[in-house]
Amino acid sequence: MAEKRAESQPVLEIRNLKVNFSTYKGIVKALNGVDLKLYSREVLALVGESGCGKSVTAQTLIGLLPENASILEGEMILNGKNLTKKSKEEMRMLRAQAIAIVFQDPMTFLNPVLTIETQLEEVFMLQKNLLREAVAIQKAEGDVKFADLIKAKSAGSSQTDKGASKKETKKVAKKLSIDLLRMVKLPDPKRILKQYPFELSGGMRQRAMIAMAFARRPSLFIADEITTALDVTIQAQILHLLKGLRDRIDASTLMITHDLSVAAEVADRIAVMYGGNIVETALTRALFRKPFHPYTQMLLRAIPNILNPVERLESIPGTVPEMINPPPGCRFHPRCPHAMEICKGERPKLLEVEKKHEVACYLY
Amino acid sequence: MCQFRIQGSSLKIYEYIIRRLILLFFVLFAVSALVFYLVRGFPTGIAPWAPYITSRMTPEQIDRVIKAHGFDRPIWEQFFYWLRDIFNGDWGLTGTWAQGRPANEVFFDHFPYTVELSIFGTILTVAIGVPLGIISAIKNNKFPDHLSRIIALAGYSTPSYWFGFMLQLVFFYYFSLWGLPYLPSSGAPDFIVPKITGLPIFDGLLAGNLGYVWDEFLHLILPAFSLSFISLGFLARIVRASLLEVLRQDYITMARSKGLSERVVIYRHALKNALIPAVTLTGIFFAALLGGAMITEFVFSWPGVGQQALRAVFQGDSNFLLVYSFVFAIVIVSANLVVDVLYAFIDPRIKY
Amino acid sequence: MQSREEKVRKGEWEARIADLKYTLHLFRKNPLVMIGTIITLFFVALALLSNIIVDPNLAYASGYEGGMYRFDRKYMWSAGHIINWGPGISIYSGPEFFYLGTDGWGRDLLAMIILSIPVDLYNAVVIVSIAAVFGTLIGAIAGYVGGIFDEAILRITDIFFAFPGLVLALVFAAMFGRTMETLQLAIVLVWWPPYVRLIRGQILSEKEKPYVEALRALGASHIRILFRHVLLNSIFPILVQITMDLGGVILTFSALMFLGFSPSPSMPELGNLAADGYGHIFDAPWVMIFPGLVMLVISLAFNLVGDGLRDVLDPRLRR
Repeated sequence: MAEKRAESQPVLEIRNLKVNFSTYKGIVKALNGVDLKLYSREVLALVGESGCGKSVTAQTLIGLLPENASILEGEMILNGKNLTKKSKEEMRMLRAQAIAIVFQDPMTFLNPVLTIETQLEEVFMLQKNLLREAVAIQKAEGDVKFADLIKAKSAGSSQTDKGASKKETKKVAKKLSIDLLRMVKLPDPKRILKQYPFELSGGMRQRAMIAMAFARRPSLFIADEITTALDVTIQAQILHLLKGLRDRIDASTLMITHDLSVAAEVADRIAVMYGGNIVETALTRALFRKPFHPYTQMLLRAIPNILNPVERLESIPGTVPEMINPPPGCRFHPRCPHAMEICKGERPKLLEVEKKHEVACYLY
Repeated sequence: MCQFRIQGSSLKIYEYIIRRLILLFFVLFAVSALVFYLVRGFPTGIAPWAPYITSRMTPEQIDRVIKAHGFDRPIWEQFFYWLRDIFNGDWGLTGTWAQGRPANEVFFDHFPYTVELSIFGTILTVAIGVPLGIISAIKNNKFPDHLSRIIALAGYSTPSYWFGFMLQLVFFYYFSLWGLPYLPSSGAPDFIVPKITGLPIFDGLLAGNLGYVWDEFLHLILPAFSLSFISLGFLARIVRASLLEVLRQDYITMARSKGLSERVVIYRHALKNALIPAVTLTGIFFAALLGGAMITEFVFSWPGVGQQALRAVFQGDSNFLLVYSFVFAIVIVSANLVVDVLYAFIDPRIKY
Repeated sequence: MQSREEKVRKGEWEARIADLKYTLHLFRKNPLVMIGTIITLFFVALALLSNIIVDPNLAYASGYEGGMYRFDRKYMWSAGHIINWGPGISIYSGPEFFYLGTDGWGRDLLAMIILSIPVDLYNAVVIVSIAAVFGTLIGAIAGYVGGIFDEAILRITDIFFAFPGLVLALVFAAMFGRTMETLQLAIVLVWWPPYVRLIRGQILSEKEKPYVEALRALGASHIRILFRHVLLNSIFPILVQITMDLGGVILTFSALMFLGFSPSPSMPELGNLAADGYGHIFDAPWVMIFPGLVMLVISLAFNLVGDGLRDVLDPRLRR
């Protein structure tokens, strides 16, 4: 069923993205030509160790790179629009209406002195179109639910007659907030709106952040290690929530995680990242059943298997490459058991070796 | 300053306040002892018994006065007499020959002027210092930042007496020379309205005497500005540091990722967090201004307590100085205490 | 055991040198600090060369009678115009053109300002050094040892903080008399408590760090640990404070002079010079303007450096 979701034209396509950071110690070549495709309504997991460039990819997508970063080459195309060419102001509009991101630690990413209400409603208040639609639906049908708006978006309708008054929009925003909180399975949404972040538990805060993300009806939803800061039981709940929601919300999800089991839970496809490059992409089952890239193979071998207990866990020899002077060619070659001469030369490109399964390795 | 986190029962607050009050008593005692020893023990100006005698007294009469008030006793005995006296409300006499008035009366006659000056000085400091700090933080390391930092630091580096005189020179002397409307250079108008709060401007407003209020205000501008110019640098730097710290936080990244405009991010998300320490410090500022107004009062002949303290130092007038230091120790310690407690109130994270 | 502790120290020094290089790099990127440093160096050079640039005898006007210098009348000359304050012989003859006018004794104001810079700088350095060393030592020991000694020192500093600084300095100055040394002492007594607080805070957090425990395990004595390791690691905020205090002490010192505590009324010192202009602020403003202005610039230079230093050393801004 997951396979059916992938359509022919990708919603998001990243081509040969190269991003550098200039620091005191030198230039960090964080992204070294990333190629990625995200199809409509699918969940793509981006997995890799810490420092391989996953979060940098996310930052680049939403346009919030720090001052010392620069995009050297490459393109990111979302729904036909080239993000790399957009101005800051245009990116800001996209963040308000098309791209949503949820971060890792719900404690530090929510403003401690503002109520949930303020932080959720401000997302709504930025979307004039949505609000006008909502007011129109409200007037037409006497009530409005967030689900209506999702339908409205996918139907492509714009029931925008004249503008709505401030009072009306505020009322509608509040209604939608409550509705959205209910959608993310938060109990007693009216009370939660009035509370501050520190009064909620970690799992509740994360749900609130997810609500804030979906309030934009985003085309692209990025989840940057959203379960890492949670304990395992809450983690399971959140993943369950996401799986439930994705059928109702028309978004394509980029799920960034370092945990392969999380990826296995929710993802339709998985992309493995190493040293600033994508080294392998495949459908979830296919990746686990038949990994092609040596890195992926060693990664999977390192996971303890409950059916096959071993004395010693396998680990990958060596350490993560430091990005100021990365190894030339394929960045994995110093640690790769199958390394060949050619691997030190030019970086291997992603090639399709089987149906919907790509690898970047000179072995193939 | 003591750090504390209040969680659970409210008993902890009272415990904390009581501890601080005990500390206050100790400080008061120590400060008084120190000042007493320094001033009485090393008489420099006029003799300590000067306010009690007249120039017509014979040496024997003077001698009797001295013995009666115990000025010939050892220092520590004198100190205990003083302590006993203040419990009866007798703070001794201050002033020069035969014009001695009770020290506490003289003090509280002049105190409202100092308070008024400090209030307006604090208002100006906040009104100018906070925006300067905000600009510095938002445009960090660019030209507006450098400009506002130079202004702030210049204020901090200005000799207090010099700045006052420069203001007088320009706004009083030269303005009147050039035919521009000018500000009065010194002093304050006589207190002609009924005393309710004791503060001239407020009493004037209460009495509806707007002419008096305006007159007082005009006299107040220059000294208040002089006072604030010197302290706004300090506030600006605190605001700047605080705001820079806040802007580095994760929730600001989150706010930006929502697509909020930078203006909204700063005003709605950042400022509230950043101004908490600055606002609470305003209380300490006020207390510090109260004490530091001495030279400004001197320059502008402002009839406040600082001016009197200056006179007292030169005259070796221990009684007045003791009242002065006593009151200020109370003010400063209480200001610190209030600020600490306020801090706990404002930050919604600290529960009771 | 000796050599292992030596290795720890060597490692510490390497880390410190690398740190220092990074600090200098950040320093250079900050224009305000550079300006401040340049101005400071300018004034230091001026101070050192002052006796060469200006003849020091100019400070002591002629008119020598009965073993004492006498000043009969005050004349104020403003860049060419003579303002005569009454009948009397001119006691001073010098260069025709006074760039900044003359002071109350008729001396060339510019020369006097130049001559007073070393006086002010010297006193500021002396005062701050003594206050810093004294305060830091006491605070370091108090922080490290803790216990009753710590409490006692804290209470003492509390007393000092409960008092408006200037008043206390005045009281001390009035009490001690009017020599340079006593004035220095008066100000030192008011300026040392902040150092205690500062170093104590640093030491308290350094104390908990694992390397201290490791050094103890190696057998190093407390004194060694304190002075050779902990203290050096906590030194940066002290340096910042020292720089900013240099600017502040100059102001306080000259304020005391202005209020009349100078050892001799004709001594070239910026506050002293300004005091001359006090009574004549409207008719001879230059006497007050220029010394004060110079003092502002010197203090501003120190504060720029200190402020920039504080920014540069802020651990959160470093990568």
